[in-house]
Amino acid sequence: MPDVILEVRSATKSFGGLKAVNNLSFDIYEGEILSLLGPNGSGKTTTFNIITGLYEPDSGDILMQGESIAGLDPGQIYARGISRTFQMLRLFSNMSVLENVLVGMHGRTKANVLDCMFRTPKMRREEVQSVERAREILAMFPGRFPLARHMQPAASLSYANRRRLEIARALAGEPKLLLLDEPVAGMNPAESLEVMQQIKDLRDRGYTILMIEHDMKVIMGASDRVIAMDHGVKIAEGAPLDVANDPAVVEAYLGRRGADAAS
Amino acid sequence: MAEMTARVSGFFGRMPRWVYVVIALALAIAFPLLEQFGLMQTLWLRLGTRVLVYVLLAVGLNLVLGETGLLHLGYVAFFAVGAYTTAILSSPRFGIQWNFWVIVALAMGLSMLFGFLIAVPTLRLRGDYLAIVTLAFGEITRMTLNNWETLTNGPGGIPGIYPPNIFGWTVDSPLEFFYVLLVAVVIVIYLLGNVKDSRIGRAWNALREDEIAAHHSGVRPMRAKMLAVVMSSGIAGLAGAIFAYYQQFINPTYFLFMQSTIVVCMVVLGGMGSIPGAVLGAVVLDATPEVIRQAFTTWLPGAFGRDFLPGVQSALQTDFDRYRMAIFGLVIVLMVIFRPEGLLPNKLWKREVHEEDPRELEKTHQHLFDFEEGKQDLEV
Amino acid sequence: MSPEHIFSLTISGITVGMIYALIALGYTMVYGVLQLINFAHGEVFTVGGYIAASTLIWAGVDGTTPLAVKIGYFGLALLVSLVLTAALGWLIERLAYRPLRQQSRIIALLAAIGTSIFLQNMLVIVFGPQPIIMPTAIVPTGFVEVFGARIRVLQVIIIVVSLVLMALLTWIVKGTRMGKAMRATSQDREAAEMMGIETNLTISFTFVMGSSLAAIGGFLVAMYYGSLQFNTGFLYGLKAFTAAVLGGIGNIPGAVVGSLILGLAENWGVGLTLELLAWLFVLGVLVGLYFQLVRAPRRRVAHIAEEFRTPEYESRVRNVYLFAPVLAVKTLFSERTDALVYVSAQHAVRLMLGNAILAAVAIAFFMAGDIQFSSKWQHVISFVVLMAILMFRPSGILGENIVEKV
Repeated sequence: MPDVILEVRSATKSFGGLKAVNNLSFDIYEGEILSLLGPNGSGKTTTFNIITGLYEPDSGDILMQGESIAGLDPGQIYARGISRTFQMLRLFSNMSVLENVLVGMHGRTKANVLDCMFRTPKMRREEVQSVERAREILAMFPGRFPLARHMQPAASLSYANRRRLEIARALAGEPKLLLLDEPVAGMNPAESLEVMQQIKDLRDRGYTILMIEHDMKVIMGASDRVIAMDHGVKIAEGAPLDVANDPAVVEAYLGRRGADAAS
Repeated sequence: MAEMTARVSGFFGRMPRWVYVVIALALAIAFPLLEQFGLMQTLWLRLGTRVLVYVLLAVGLNLVLGETGLLHLGYVAFFAVGAYTTAILSSPRFGIQWNFWVIVALAMGLSMLFGFLIAVPTLRLRGDYLAIVTLAFGEITRMTLNNWETLTNGPGGIPGIYPPNIFGWTVDSPLEFFYVLLVAVVIVIYLLGNVKDSRIGRAWNALREDEIAAHHSGVRPMRAKMLAVVMSSGIAGLAGAIFAYYQQFINPTYFLFMQSTIVVCMVVLGGMGSIPGAVLGAVVLDATPEVIRQAFTTWLPGAFGRDFLPGVQSALQTDFDRYRMAIFGLVIVLMVIFRPEGLLPNKLWKREVHEEDPRELEKTHQHLFDFEEGKQDLEV
Repeated sequence: MSPEHIFSLTISGITVGMIYALIALGYTMVYGVLQLINFAHGEVFTVGGYIAASTLIWAGVDGTTPLAVKIGYFGLALLVSLVLTAALGWLIERLAYRPLRQQSRIIALLAAIGTSIFLQNMLVIVFGPQPIIMPTAIVPTGFVEVFGARIRVLQVIIIVVSLVLMALLTWIVKGTRMGKAMRATSQDREAAEMMGIETNLTISFTFVMGSSLAAIGGFLVAMYYGSLQFNTGFLYGLKAFTAAVLGGIGNIPGAVVGSLILGLAENWGVGLTLELLAWLFVLGVLVGLYFQLVRAPRRRVAHIAEEFRTPEYESRVRNVYLFAPVLAVKTLFSERTDALVYVSAQHAVRLMLGNAILAAVAIAFFMAGDIQFSSKWQHVISFVVLMAILMFRPSGILGENIVEKV
């Protein structure tokens, strides 16, 4: 059994009276692709938000490699090796493709204001290294970010490429754990397949991935394990096929009568 | 029309940037010589010196408004802090005259401290609330200067500020001040340009574009914004110090809310997030009204006789400031509606702001860039 | 101060508060539907007052005019001012704000500021920089005696008129189709549009209504103080905005409550001395210290790993407060990352810095004892109040009622 990289321990988060995430616990193992599955409003994105520090869990704890990260802010959590993408794209639209990736490296670079003001050799060296690394990362998406495109504003990219750029930006933080929020949302089948393949490649390069996805083809094709959620509670966990056929999951998606009909 | 502008900008775009910098610098260095050789009235040299003060302010505010996307409406307060530090420490008011460098360092340091103190609690606020808080801060500063008579002599102001002594050189003519300011402007622009083009500048831009995403990329929003506010306050302090020396007299009416809005207007007009834009904005907005006034009150009557458009002449003499401000207000509105990227935009920013509907934008770009990819996808 | 004096201060406080409320409602409604601080609203208010006053001046009302004619002119002035000001509000939205709906808030706010500057200077160009004087003949001069205090009839009129207008507004928002459309638009403009609500019309209506209220406010202020100046609206606008935020922006009852509090505070505050203020500051520092030492550690602890969430940590934070500088230096030079020491030292240094600033302000107040606390500091006080609210409780007293899109 590989090591656990992230543990969620009975995390709860409510908004007003609604428990968006209720007593949720699960582990992510190093080097796996774990998918979160569930109908809209089942608490998947909220789970992401409490892992990445956008919200603080009301109770419970989150351990990254054994250390509690609950209550830290997104910047600190990023520093511990967790990067994410967003369901509704959040790119820096007026900055160039390359700059977007460079911003993703911000927390990994060290030059201070004085270095930057006077362009010290240390700062120049770091800048050159950053740009090289950024180009490497963009090259992980073969053919999608040719050199000519690096200086274009991010907003000029196609939708699918913007999604890819967001992944690239997340990778720039050299994360150990990558959180992808609906990476193929809005893509056509061919594009989805390509992104799915890329996600698998990322796993093979050693990243651990937690993703939210609705596209069953992608979930079945890419994930090692699946967790199904409904109303903020985990209702099933296991291999993709087992979860997809779990009566509780079918019921969550189709309702009780639908579930009866299906069985 | 569009084709023509495209061709013109294509021509200018081909020239490397340093060409423009050299041309601008040469023009600036040559400008006071015109007065020296008697080709120009001192009036214009004085205007040029004032323009340079505004250039410093506009470049400083651009850091906050343009790069980081924070609307700061009390910027003139830091200018005032710098100016009053100088006036108090180098005038007959308390009979002291400190060293120029000490005063400049103190003026910048105090402005930065004020910037820091105001930033600590306010930077968490939503953008529009921040605007109001900074506005209130600017007004409080002015009212305090107006009311704290033991220190500032209230509305009477502080007269007779001693001229500065820089390494044994006593600066006291407009010409000398022009060059001192020019040096300050060049240094500030050089250093800021470097910061803008580094990880810190990118962090600022990222905060302007999307704070949440920036935070998730390891940018610490509070720190980065604080840095921008403190640095820009320091620049305002520097501008204030030199301004006080140059003016030799200051009082609270130099630091009205109007001044803050004029600087905002310069940044918006020139192009938010663009240093050349800020410079251009300052030059255009400060010089143009003066040129118009001179044209209608001196040159045109000189050429066409004394009673040339007497109505315009008298209006310009009495309500000049009002017309100027009314037009500035209109300029802000028109600029943000029709050309939000400003006259000299940052390269990338200009492509985006004209798109109104993101869905529409998506369609065109999908069409432009993904045509071939789409074909590939179909074959997969 | 005698009870009568306090009572009459209270009445003036309520009067001023009601006027603030008339303006604040415009801010709050527009913020509700557009999330925009309509910076030009203060100028709209001034324009309303100017139009009413100049109508009366044009009509030539003086002491000899019979009462019935006076009332006729009064109605005429009100009508003209309402119509023109409402049209101005509509025009501002149509020309300056509507093209910017898709842009960021900062851009829209810039347009609002530009509009405000433009209007203010146009007022000077048209009417001149001197204040416009309200014909005194139109202003009711009587007094009524309540609890031994003399109250101006005009004050009673202002309060009553404002209450009626607020009741009317509440009915419009709660009870009519247009009100329902407004509420829907403020929740989600796109969704409202899809449900067949004409959002453009609704937004225009909101501006028209806000401007009409501001016009009446301008008229009342002109009568109350006898004159108006081109920049009156700037200050009134800011104060009304303060009141709207104080009550909770986007919240209609909140705007009224906030305005009343501000009006009363300003009037009662006249009795405040600087020394009292300095003592209040000292009190503030002490309360702050108490919260930092006794209450705050609990919240900080939540950020640290489980093993530190103990009573010992809290007591150490308290002790560390005394030795913070030593610890801070120590953590700077040591490679060892003892999270507990590090975090607590950092925490303590921050607290001490904050308290030092507050203490410095208090000391400065004591030292500047020669500053006479007079009405010229009154505006400073309201600006300080504004900053304090925005910084410490931006959601206001009754809670804000706007939809933040995440």
